Amino acid sequence: MKLPFEINPQRFLRLAAFLALAGLAFMVWSLVDPRPIPIMAAMSVGQGLGTLSLLIFALVVLDDARRASKQKADKDQDSG
Amino acid sequence: MELSISSVLVVLALGSAAVAAAILVWYLVKRPPLMWTTKIALLLGLGIFPLATAATGNVVGFQHTMSREFCGGCHVMEPFTHDVGNPSSLTLAARHSRNPSFGDHSCYACHEDYGMFGPVTTKLNGLRHVYEYWTRFHSMTIEEALPQIEMFKPYPNKNCMQCHSTQVPTWYRVPEHAALDREVRSGQVSCASAGCHGPIHPTTDGVPL
Repeated sequence: MKLPFEINPQRFLRLAAFLALAGLAFMVWSLVDPRPIPIMAAMSVGQGLGTLSLLIFALVVLDDARRASKQKADKDQDSG
Repeated sequence: MELSISSVLVVLALGSAAVAAAILVWYLVKRPPLMWTTKIALLLGLGIFPLATAATGNVVGFQHTMSREFCGGCHVMEPFTHDVGNPSSLTLAARHSRNPSFGDHSCYACHEDYGMFGPVTTKLNGLRHVYEYWTRFHSMTIEEALPQIEMFKPYPNKNCMQCHSTQVPTWYRVPEHAALDREVRSGQVSCASAGCHGPIHPTTDGVPL
């Protein structure tokens, strides 16, 4: 399946890292200041950002595996 | 110092968050090439440790939402939470709260929905409370808010019956119980009715605040 956009692994992973850090900040906030708003923010925004960052990481890894597999197939074809 | 499960989980969650943050900051600062070692590090920093933080944080957060301190986080609940924490108060809520089985989580113990999906429906109702607080009560003084605070639905007798079986002979020995047995079980008459066991909390028109 071809994606409608080009994946730049480094840029995507930096984005994922920033999103995960933001998500972690919400989660830590709820742990050190367990009031209604921080707890709700951690369970919604924080976990949403964390999930998004993990999905981006999975996308980059899958795209990397797809490229590696394509390169191997091309090399096999050239040598064969 | 007493070490509770909750405090251990907080330490675990904070530790996981710290490790995840260290890995992510390392990645952002060093910008290493995307080799398999980098992928493993990022799997830990973006996946394993944040998931551990979220899981343990959820348990801690859920436990904290049961505490009286959490309920008193909305200022209009303070008259109720202060009353139940008052050792000299004689309201039914305060007397129950002095029982260690209710203790610090007496609000949740009495107001939660029991049954299989009780915790879920209780939390959904809790979200409605938050909505009502932020849209109606947040900017009110306690005096302005108290006459307007009401329960979404009548207090169910089955919550009382989680502890009070109402099956023992001493319960039937009370003439009102025997006379209203069917009405109490069907919910037509509330245990918390004024004149029976209510008002449970201090009210503006009944028990002085």
